[in-house]
Amino acid sequence: MADISLSEAEKRYIVDGVKLGIRVDGRERLDYRQLEIETGLVSTANGSARVRLGCTDVLITVKMEMEPPPPQQPKDGQIHFFVNCSANAAPEFEGRGGEDLATSLSAMLDRLYSSPLSLDTSRLCVVPGKHVKVLYVDVEILECGGNLFDTVSLGVKAALWATRMPRIYITGEDGGELEFMVSDNPQEVDRVDVSNAPILITHLRITENLTVIDPTPEEECCGPVQVVVGVTPKGLITTTQQLGAGTFAPQTLSASLKSAQELGVKIHHQLMQRLQQEESIPNRKTKGFL
Amino acid sequence: MGLVERKLKVFYRKTKKGNIIKVVREHYLRDDVWCGYEGCGQCECEKPTLDMPDISDSTLVPESHLIMIDTNVALHQIDVLCDDSITNVIIPQTVVGEVRHRSLPIYKRLRDLIETSAKKFYVFTNEHHSECYVEREAEESANDRNDRAIRVACWWYKQHLRLCNQKVILLTNDYANRDKVRAMELEAYTTREYVSSLKNRPGLLDIVASGEEDKGEDTITQRCLYAPHWSMDKIRQFLKTGKVRQGCLKTSRNNFLEANVLVEGLDKSVLIQGRLNINRALNDDTVAVELLPEDQWCRPANVIIDQEKQEEENKDKEEADEEAIKKEDDLLAAGQGEGELQPTGRVVGIIRRKWRQYCGIIKKNEITESLRHLFIPADKKIPFIRIETRQPDLLYDKRIIVAIDSWPRDSRNPKGHFVRIIGPVGDKEAENEVILLEHDCPHTKFSEAVLNCLPKMPWIITEKDEAERNDLRHLDICSVDPIGCTDIDDALHCRKLANGNFEVGVHIADVSHFIRPNTALDKEAQNRSTTVYLTTRRIDMVPDLLSSNLCSLRGNVDRFAFSVIWEVSPKAEVLSFKFCKSIIRSRGEMSYEQAQQRIDDPNMQDDLTNSLRNLNMLAKQLKKKRIDAGALVLASMEVKFHVDPDTDTVVDIVAKQHLETMSMVEEFMLLANVTAAECTLKHFPDCALLRRHPAPPHSNFEPLLLSAKSQDIELDVSSNKALAESLNSVTRDNNPFFNSMLRIMTTRCMMQALYFCSGTLEPAEYNHYGLATPTYTHFTSPIRRYADIIVHRLLAVIIEADRTYPDLLNPKKLADLSQHINYRHKMAQYAGRGSAVITAIASLRGKTSEFDAYVLMLHKNAIQVLVPTIGQQLTLYLDKREKKKEEKTKPTKGAEPMEVDETPAPQFEFNEKELFVKCGSVIIRPFDHLKIQVTVDTSDVQHQRVVSKLIEPVIPGFSVPPLKRESSESKETTSKKRKK
Repeated sequence: MADISLSEAEKRYIVDGVKLGIRVDGRERLDYRQLEIETGLVSTANGSARVRLGCTDVLITVKMEMEPPPPQQPKDGQIHFFVNCSANAAPEFEGRGGEDLATSLSAMLDRLYSSPLSLDTSRLCVVPGKHVKVLYVDVEILECGGNLFDTVSLGVKAALWATRMPRIYITGEDGGELEFMVSDNPQEVDRVDVSNAPILITHLRITENLTVIDPTPEEECCGPVQVVVGVTPKGLITTTQQLGAGTFAPQTLSASLKSAQELGVKIHHQLMQRLQQEESIPNRKTKGFL
Repeated sequence: MGLVERKLKVFYRKTKKGNIIKVVREHYLRDDVWCGYEGCGQCECEKPTLDMPDISDSTLVPESHLIMIDTNVALHQIDVLCDDSITNVIIPQTVVGEVRHRSLPIYKRLRDLIETSAKKFYVFTNEHHSECYVEREAEESANDRNDRAIRVACWWYKQHLRLCNQKVILLTNDYANRDKVRAMELEAYTTREYVSSLKNRPGLLDIVASGEEDKGEDTITQRCLYAPHWSMDKIRQFLKTGKVRQGCLKTSRNNFLEANVLVEGLDKSVLIQGRLNINRALNDDTVAVELLPEDQWCRPANVIIDQEKQEEENKDKEEADEEAIKKEDDLLAAGQGEGELQPTGRVVGIIRRKWRQYCGIIKKNEITESLRHLFIPADKKIPFIRIETRQPDLLYDKRIIVAIDSWPRDSRNPKGHFVRIIGPVGDKEAENEVILLEHDCPHTKFSEAVLNCLPKMPWIITEKDEAERNDLRHLDICSVDPIGCTDIDDALHCRKLANGNFEVGVHIADVSHFIRPNTALDKEAQNRSTTVYLTTRRIDMVPDLLSSNLCSLRGNVDRFAFSVIWEVSPKAEVLSFKFCKSIIRSRGEMSYEQAQQRIDDPNMQDDLTNSLRNLNMLAKQLKKKRIDAGALVLASMEVKFHVDPDTDTVVDIVAKQHLETMSMVEEFMLLANVTAAECTLKHFPDCALLRRHPAPPHSNFEPLLLSAKSQDIELDVSSNKALAESLNSVTRDNNPFFNSMLRIMTTRCMMQALYFCSGTLEPAEYNHYGLATPTYTHFTSPIRRYADIIVHRLLAVIIEADRTYPDLLNPKKLADLSQHINYRHKMAQYAGRGSAVITAIASLRGKTSEFDAYVLMLHKNAIQVLVPTIGQQLTLYLDKREKKKEEKTKPTKGAEPMEVDETPAPQFEFNEKELFVKCGSVIIRPFDHLKIQVTVDTSDVQHQRVVSKLIEPVIPGFSVPPLKRESSESKETTSKKRKK
């Protein structure tokens, strides 16, 4: 992630602040920054969302394709994640510099959505063994301003929520193969069920036994070790991962998990509320990048 | 003024592969789309199309008014719109788009109307008008949305023209829509209401299409034309229980809507009629067939239905698919023959597709910018294929190759894609290539690896060779072949022995010496299996160096040969034979004509000529023996084309002459083949490569017998001998071609002769029916047939001149090989014939020719005739359509009403039982002599078709006058008229 050079004094200032329960930008330890979200801004994709969290800016698009399923899962659709770290986001992403981060992000997302409890892929099946829907989720990192994992996971969920897939009718059978056709009405669409789609909550250990969430890049310089927790809307932890070199004390870790669980439920709730609100605006004009 | 807003049009599209693509198109709305009305003060239209209409004729709308139409009116009442009285019409862009989508021919007519300035048809670009654009609502069908768009456009016009007091009415065919329009306080009528209110147009109402008050077709309920194919599991299950049968589908040559499936366990093939029952199966596919109940069995149709002709007739009215199919079915039903009922079935599934790439041409599409085109395969048994191309102009007059991708249920024709261009239509190279590709003949250049297997030049005979081979260079050997033959693979000699017998030798090019087993050269030759002879090109089985040089037994050079030498008594009894590898030196390469001259010329008394005379003498006796044994003498209609190599034009067509020397060479070749067959079979009872000719089943003779019966001739087909005798006994004095014709027809009843491996069949099946020999093989043409090379190798092993190799003695491998050779052989034959057809047509191009023709077969709507002069079979259609066309082309005739009355369209009466076609007093039977006039219609490169017309016997109203006497004949008719 974007490296920022901080002097020892600056770091001490941030850490001491957290110890006192107050952060440089005025937030408390477990406060999120303001989140801006817009869906449906890429008209050619099936679903898209752009999320800004502080300076972090990510664009997520979802494209649907029809493909034959892998033989061992003939009745399941698939979801694939691709992350690209734009060199605009940070100079060190230039060339293949962003690859490591991109791989760890996409691996994290793969893991997050791998369970049928988070996304029911059997509903993406069209003709078992022949045609299933495959969702390609492309994540473009436009700007890095800390807390990338959380932002991306929120964006993915929003983009999936905004995804519209044309309705498919099975028209009959021919030579033992089911035939299907696409509804000619572009308004007639199916959506992805995101009611169980998890998000990520990251805790940064900033000192001994204190953690903060939604760290700024400066804060990320102070504490090298983070724990990323995947939480479903019902508060179920789906995955955890530790990032960076360092250790968590057991009680810190369990406290982080617990707070991630609680926070996750709240953020899920708020996110869905906002998304529904956005959808209810009639003839909404997309804002996009202009 | 200008752009107002950007909209995004989103729709989803399924690709060929089944993927789904979201398509987003930008759509800009403007506020400067003019109304096109002259009296409007607000619009800045430069040349308004619409003007103040005259006083209205209509009682419904007494004021002058503009008319706006909706899609259904354009689609169904285009004839009304064409009437001169209908002017000042506004056509919303929505309507134009929908019409284009639904029916291209009507779209074309509509465009023509729009371009006719007198009609004052104005296209209102409502889709881009900021006030008229409507977006499709969630629950709305595409049709409803378009109807709404039209209503909104109409509403806009009303508001817009209110200032200048101009009225606009909407015509629709749909009552529901009319009422919706009226609810918007607009005036709307159905076409019928409006037209019937017009005062001075009584005739116009007749043109109003009836019953077309809109059905409100829903585009979502997609029409699937064909029944679904069963799954493989289901087919397998039903095959087991015997409810469906499996077999290879063969489309009828004469009728593309009919096919036969050869099913095991039934003596008759299963008949399949109609597009729906054939259910997307193509010729040669292996299909599962369900038999229909016996009361639905049919007789094979006795009409010739040509796809291209069919399609052309329907060109004007591109009907809905169902209608077209119904029409085809009617046609079939009308053509129902009177023969026996045949088991009839329908295809329920396809077990194995035999799709390949097809050669053909593109059908011209009326809408030039259209992407979709119909492809017409060269093979008449293959249905038209729908392809998409962005370069139609490039492809129109080209022969192209197309591959089939799929044939979905909702598509009348299979869908495919363009592969590559072969060349321009009519080009010699391209036409040859088409033939070779269509018949799967390998015709690429020989590869480097193959050429590396050839002996290095200069080639010399080494001492080792001389030691291994019999030196026969002292013998007077010569070859007798057709003129211009460069691949000479046989030579003969004959000398009198001291004991009064003759020593006769047949020397065959020793190709197996040069083509060693399992080399690249061998594999290539094996793959090609045979040399293919087209009229203007020869595709060699082995490279030129071998076929025309080292293996060719040319005169006065030393060549390797594989010889068979008999001792023959003066009564032509074979006393002994021996095979050996030899070195020979031919004394001369003679043509049949030269050899004949030598024999006939009493002054020639040299050794060579005398040996030819002896050979000839022996050959006659051999032939007599063979015919006594029951060999058939059959005939074909082969002709020889003399083609000018520079201009590619046919200079002359000559029937193949028959000379004694031909049968002389033939007899000894047969003898050599029989000897080789006996010899190999004796030594290798399990793996000799033989050639058999099965006796045809009696049913094969039925058409022949029926035709013969119509001429009061009874043929005995019980055995080959009986058949040969009855063929010899029949002649007709008034018809010199009669006997040949009968033999040609007999040939068509025969089965294919086949190569096989002796181990795979019972000895009783080895029989050769046509030649009346118990065993037969091919030994004498190894340059142009691969089977002969195998026979050579076997014989070489027998005489211990060569080693064997595993594949040679493996009956399974040999059986596979013979299958392959049979296939290639058959295809090469077809290719040769196809090439002759094309050359014959090319020779007819650009002139009107008259020929003697003989009736081969009668059908309900056509007569098939043989034309010996060009060696072709032509079809003479008996329908009246040709007649009509003619009248159109000769307007002077058509203008005279008397003429038309005098010659009513002739009625042809077809009697299938006794097989004749009757028209007035004229009766046409098989074998009858006709005079026909043949032209090749070259007006359209795409449709070069042979058109044949009858000259004699004269059938009023159908036959045409002969060319030269045309003027005198016309005088006659006029004088007759005067008398009346």
